[in-house]
Amino acid sequence: MAERIYVFKRFERFWHWSQAGLIMFLMLTAFDIHGTYTIFGFEKAVAYHTTAAWTLIGLWVFAIFWHFTTGEWKQYIPTTEKVVAMMKYYLVGIFKNAPHPFRLTTLRKHNPLQRLAYLAILVCVGPLIWVTGVLYLFYDQWAAWGLGSLSLEWVANGHIAGAFMMLAFLIAHVYLTTAGHTPLAHIKAMITGWEEVD
Amino acid sequence: MGHLFNRAALALCCAGWLVATGPVLAEEAKPEPKPLKLTTTADHAKFKELQKTFNSGPEVTKACLACHTEAAGQIHRTKHWKWEYLNPDTKQTLGKKTVVNNFCISVASNEAACNSCHIGYGWKDASFDFKSEENVDCLACHDTTGNYKKPSGLAGNVVTKDMEFPPGSGKILKAIDLSKIAQKVGKSSRDTCGACHFFGGGGDGVKHGDLDSSMSAPEKELDVHMDATGLDFTCGTCHKTSSHDVAGSRYSPTAKDSKGAHLRGKTDNGNPATCVACHNNAPHKSVARLNQHAGKIACQTCHIPSFARGGIPTKMTWDWSTAGQLDAAGKQITKKDAKGRIIYESRKGDFTLGENVKPEYVWFNGNVTYTLITDKIEKSDQRVPINKIGGSPSDGKSMIWPMKVFRGSQPYDPVNKTLVTPHTAGNDDTGYWKNLNWDKAIAVGMNTSGHPFSGKIDFIKTEMSWPINHMVAPKEKALGCAECHSKDSRLAGIQGVYIPVRDNNKLLDTIGWAVVFLTLLGVIGHGAMRIVTARRH
Amino acid sequence: MKLATTLAAGVALSLLAASAFAYDADWKRGRVYYRSVCTSCHAVQPIGTINPSSKTKAEWAAYLKADKHAKGKDTVKQYVSKAYRASIKSGNKAAEKFADTPDQELLDDVAAFLTKGAKDGDSPASCN
Repeated sequence: MAERIYVFKRFERFWHWSQAGLIMFLMLTAFDIHGTYTIFGFEKAVAYHTTAAWTLIGLWVFAIFWHFTTGEWKQYIPTTEKVVAMMKYYLVGIFKNAPHPFRLTTLRKHNPLQRLAYLAILVCVGPLIWVTGVLYLFYDQWAAWGLGSLSLEWVANGHIAGAFMMLAFLIAHVYLTTAGHTPLAHIKAMITGWEEVD
Repeated sequence: MGHLFNRAALALCCAGWLVATGPVLAEEAKPEPKPLKLTTTADHAKFKELQKTFNSGPEVTKACLACHTEAAGQIHRTKHWKWEYLNPDTKQTLGKKTVVNNFCISVASNEAACNSCHIGYGWKDASFDFKSEENVDCLACHDTTGNYKKPSGLAGNVVTKDMEFPPGSGKILKAIDLSKIAQKVGKSSRDTCGACHFFGGGGDGVKHGDLDSSMSAPEKELDVHMDATGLDFTCGTCHKTSSHDVAGSRYSPTAKDSKGAHLRGKTDNGNPATCVACHNNAPHKSVARLNQHAGKIACQTCHIPSFARGGIPTKMTWDWSTAGQLDAAGKQITKKDAKGRIIYESRKGDFTLGENVKPEYVWFNGNVTYTLITDKIEKSDQRVPINKIGGSPSDGKSMIWPMKVFRGSQPYDPVNKTLVTPHTAGNDDTGYWKNLNWDKAIAVGMNTSGHPFSGKIDFIKTEMSWPINHMVAPKEKALGCAECHSKDSRLAGIQGVYIPVRDNNKLLDTIGWAVVFLTLLGVIGHGAMRIVTARRH
Repeated sequence: MKLATTLAAGVALSLLAASAFAYDADWKRGRVYYRSVCTSCHAVQPIGTINPSSKTKAEWAAYLKADKHAKGKDTVKQYVSKAYRASIKSGNKAAEKFADTPDQELLDDVAAFLTKGAKDGDSPASCN
């Protein structure tokens, strides 16, 4: 009988899913603005994109507060331990039904690869998108902020590059949710908070 | 005695009451009394000086000047009178008297025709007396009847007795009643300004594109400010005039007005005709992003989505080089398009017309340099600019402006390498419109304008830019974002500024999509292998 | 004799003019009303728009005097009346703007515009 542990607390689950929804909506409007397709049209898409972005920033304020007050931020400290084992597992072991090299606990709910990936998103892709996004919004303030020499083209391209990376991450992330001991195990855990551990 | 007095007072009071109520009762029977004129303090119809027959324009002016003693002197100082303007930036002497364009080309030697739009009487050649007070035409701007007319060919004079013109043509010019017109003078109006400015270039809407007779009483859709049933601005509402000098100049326009809205009591020498002069520099209340745009984009660019919107076409091209064709009988011909609009005339050449025309957009800093008759020009693949529009994305003074760019081909002197001033209008042996002979027409015209002419004639391609300012659409009809933020952007030709979507980086897009697709491919492959290997186990 | 008739006719005409133009008709207001009210309705009805320049001054004068709109089904005056303006002012800006103009004044304004814009008028005009 598998043991069940409570890994994702209520706020964390709320945060995850609202963030997921917002990011997907941001993606949808982003590529509308970008001219890839037309759903809302440029004008509305920009308005929705901006509103969704501010909402997500608001959500992040709460999330950051939560992470620091609960100490959950430690979950994102990177480790080299078992990284190679994890990679081997995804490249080989998973096809041979080999045992998962990482054992989940409430204090270590992310496997080493997850830690690295999420950290990369948190410290690279996220800030890239947020910094360029905010700059984009306050384009006319640059001179007042002492950023007059900044190039809108670079800011825009940075934002677009960030969007592509986020989209790639989203695809990989969604796929890897199926890599639990059953395809829907991870998703179930993110909904209920409880994960089954062997 | 006291009683008597009281009684008398009472009787008076009663009589007063009767008198007071009398008209009220009468008003009920006749509910609409003759109104008091509230728009003016002087009903000119009541002035003895104007209750007479006037046989010429100057006679009316003399009557005007009897009271308005300074008016003519004020007029004498203006561009409208002198047709001369010294551009303080370029030091070029401009004005209608001097410039050459690519419509009817130039005034010199054609004064009798062109100067029907001069605010004076009798400018038929260089001998015109610019100091004459009585030759100032008050009625051109102050007529309210709409009946004041200055026919072409009479050097700005009016017709007070029916006359045949040109002599022998059988066409009768009808007399106008100057007395009636003089008695009804008032403020200038869209109709008075429009009498010339709507018809520039020889016909309704020909020249400007954003000014034509549809603007005399426009609907809101056509011009949100001049809307005859709404704000009902006259030209003078924006072109605020003092001392008879009308503000707002096409020779030295205000491309970027950073001075903000004009306030009463504030000393302000800025141009009162700019959008900013009323709307200030951050007029968009609800969407701050639009105010950011206003730092680089002239209001006109978004708020005038197209010109010639009032149902009257504007001329877009004019090819003088094809003029002169005759029919089999040797007569001048006229060709019309499917809508019955003239597209070829023997005396003028080929035209194209446009309605609802999208402007062209350029960086513009307000500096306009004209190619004058004294300037050397070279025939090449590039069109010669009649007026070169100054501006760049980086000079800090330029905004993106909408323009009507009028392209043509016109005669020039290939030996002296200058534009020429042909004698076109005129009922004489050398006028091109009558005799279709360029040699004579240009020789006479150049002689009149006082410039050398080699005798050789060729045609050269030119273009002239007209900043678009009028026909401001209601805000709902202003340009949407995607008009510029798209791959077929209206601002396709605008350099030096990054416009999202228009300027999407192709390489970045390729790399970005490659990363995304490889990731997708990777997870699909990985997933497929998992499914396959899971079955095998 | 001839002089006398001319004089008499002149006096009669000026009297007529004096009575007809007791109010100083504003042809510009007439223009706006004609184009915004008359034309806007005519444009969508079978008869179509009517240019002022499609009739002579005399024809317009006779038409206004007869006061028969739609071949006598109703009157021309009613379409210039305050009551009519009040009934359409929610959807017609000209009717709203001139809501309080006395009927006779507005009728005179329209007449002045038609006279001026008639085929043989001082400046033949179209309906828009």
